[in-house]
Amino acid sequence: MDWQVIINGLLLGGLYGLAAIGFSLIWGVMNIVDLAQGAYLTLGAYITFWLFNLWGVDPFLTLPISALVLFGLGYLIESQIIKRVLRYGLVMMLVVTYGLNLLLQNAMLVAWSADYRSVTPAYSGAGLVIGGASIPYIRLALFIAALLLVGLLTFFLSRTRMGNAIRATSLNRLAASFVGVRTDFIYALTYGLAAATVGMAGSLISMVYTVSPSLGGTFMTKIFVVTVLGGFGSISGAVVGGLILGVTEALTASYVAPGLMNAVSFIMLVLILIFRPQGLFGKQFYGVTN
Amino acid sequence: MDKTVTAARKRSPAGLIILVLAAIILALLPLVIQGYWIRVITSLFMYAAMAEALNLVVGYAGYAAFGNGVFFGIGAYMTAILMTHYKWGFFPASAISGLTAMLIAFILGWPVLRLRGHYFAIATIGINMAVMEIVTYVGITGGGKGISLPLYPGDIVKQGMFFYYSMFILMLVSIAITAWIVHGRLGYGLRAIKTQPDAAEVMGIDTTLYKVYAWSISALITGIAGSLNAYWLTFLEPIYVFDIMISVEVFVMVLLGGPGTILGPILGAFFLKLLSELVWSQFTLIHMGVLGLIIVVISLFLPAGLMGLLRQAGRWRRTAPQSLGNR
Repeated sequence: MDWQVIINGLLLGGLYGLAAIGFSLIWGVMNIVDLAQGAYLTLGAYITFWLFNLWGVDPFLTLPISALVLFGLGYLIESQIIKRVLRYGLVMMLVVTYGLNLLLQNAMLVAWSADYRSVTPAYSGAGLVIGGASIPYIRLALFIAALLLVGLLTFFLSRTRMGNAIRATSLNRLAASFVGVRTDFIYALTYGLAAATVGMAGSLISMVYTVSPSLGGTFMTKIFVVTVLGGFGSISGAVVGGLILGVTEALTASYVAPGLMNAVSFIMLVLILIFRPQGLFGKQFYGVTN
Repeated sequence: MDKTVTAARKRSPAGLIILVLAAIILALLPLVIQGYWIRVITSLFMYAAMAEALNLVVGYAGYAAFGNGVFFGIGAYMTAILMTHYKWGFFPASAISGLTAMLIAFILGWPVLRLRGHYFAIATIGINMAVMEIVTYVGITGGGKGISLPLYPGDIVKQGMFFYYSMFILMLVSIAITAWIVHGRLGYGLRAIKTQPDAAEVMGIDTTLYKVYAWSISALITGIAGSLNAYWLTFLEPIYVFDIMISVEVFVMVLLGGPGTILGPILGAFFLKLLSELVWSQFTLIHMGVLGLIIVVISLFLPAGLMGLLRQAGRWRRTAPQSLGNR
């Protein structure tokens, strides 16, 4: 077995996991499949690109800005649009979030053109070698940053008052509102938080991928696979799902055929949906079923 | 429920007359228009047929088949392969393409249609993407470079007429099939499944079987639309025929027209396509964004679609003004 392949897969998988958390959280708490996540990811990537390109801000330092901007956008979109459409059911939600995705993606296309751009900090070339496998510093840093953000989010959800309110709302919205949780606010907060998370994932991704308006579309499909693998609503599930997807992709690309990499992950997606719709690790963290 | 059904039955003669008139006008239209508009209306018919096909699954059974465009691509590629590699004529190739799409839906339907809600929607997207990747990879399809079909024999006017009337007939057939299903056992079963799946199961409806039937018929129509479209354009690329945007656009047509009504999706398709042709065909750069905006606006202000709006208007006229407030 080639360790290099596995390590590459794991390092990429961490990013997949982080990217999928927002989607998973929204699904778990609000019972919405949010197809606009891809656009938020792209926007996060562009924020990093422009800050780095125009003012030379270190890409890692753009994370909080990315998070703030996307939190604001997400909060606004939830409280102005999603909230009003929620009661029309899941078909309408799928379509409206896809519409938002188209709108945002097109806005970025018009504003910043379809050019491929990249973020290349000075340290992006170097790396370390362990036992024959080389690990670029930047990939390692991205991986660690992704895990730290996941840890932070987990802490927020399980240890803070607001995080507990989010979890209570996901278990039972009505009951949560009886005990004094402002569920409307919690929904907007959750959506904003999810947008911020995926935006930060986009910021990290911009350092290893080329940035263009279609970046989010590529990652959206990976987000599906990761979420379904890990079981929706579960943060640790998303991370493990991300790692599994990353390794599977790397193995398929180097041992089967690079052209079949995506096909394998989509087939995996459909098979898991059919045989284990609750995800690989069984129990869902959040309560919403169906 | 009972009341609305009888009301619909009572109203139907007037509706039928309008429908027949519209059909006659559309059938005679090629005498007046030509070239560009023939093409526009041909694609209008195609989208209308696909919207009607999707309506069976989304509107009646209530299942969000977000990746239904996969059958469009399968139909297109099947026709292309049979016509170029095996030198088949168009009609047998098209029939086999439709049946292939139907068969695939039938086989996939058993496991996939047991999934509910979001799971089904994501599974259909997954199937769409998986098939696209496989078609791109496999050699016989020409891969990512695409595949060219033989040209329609005959001059360009004859070609235009052929596709105009083929798509027209496909649309009429899709309407007829929907009307037939809606008033039959399958239609009642599907509506029962949409309203209360567990209750439907208890009442003795084989829910999975009914959903599989609906999806298969939907796939048949979509597959033939894909087949005709392939022969019409004579060039295919995976990235074009399996584009998730096709599914989305058709989805929006169904929602815009009114899901779960016979003529709603047709109305939605005509409205959206004509609007896009008249208003923003010149602004290709913002085409996607405007579609997105339309989607958001529909969801916010017109959740029951155009048919819902018409019905609402009718209800207001009849019962005005005392019951305006309750909803």
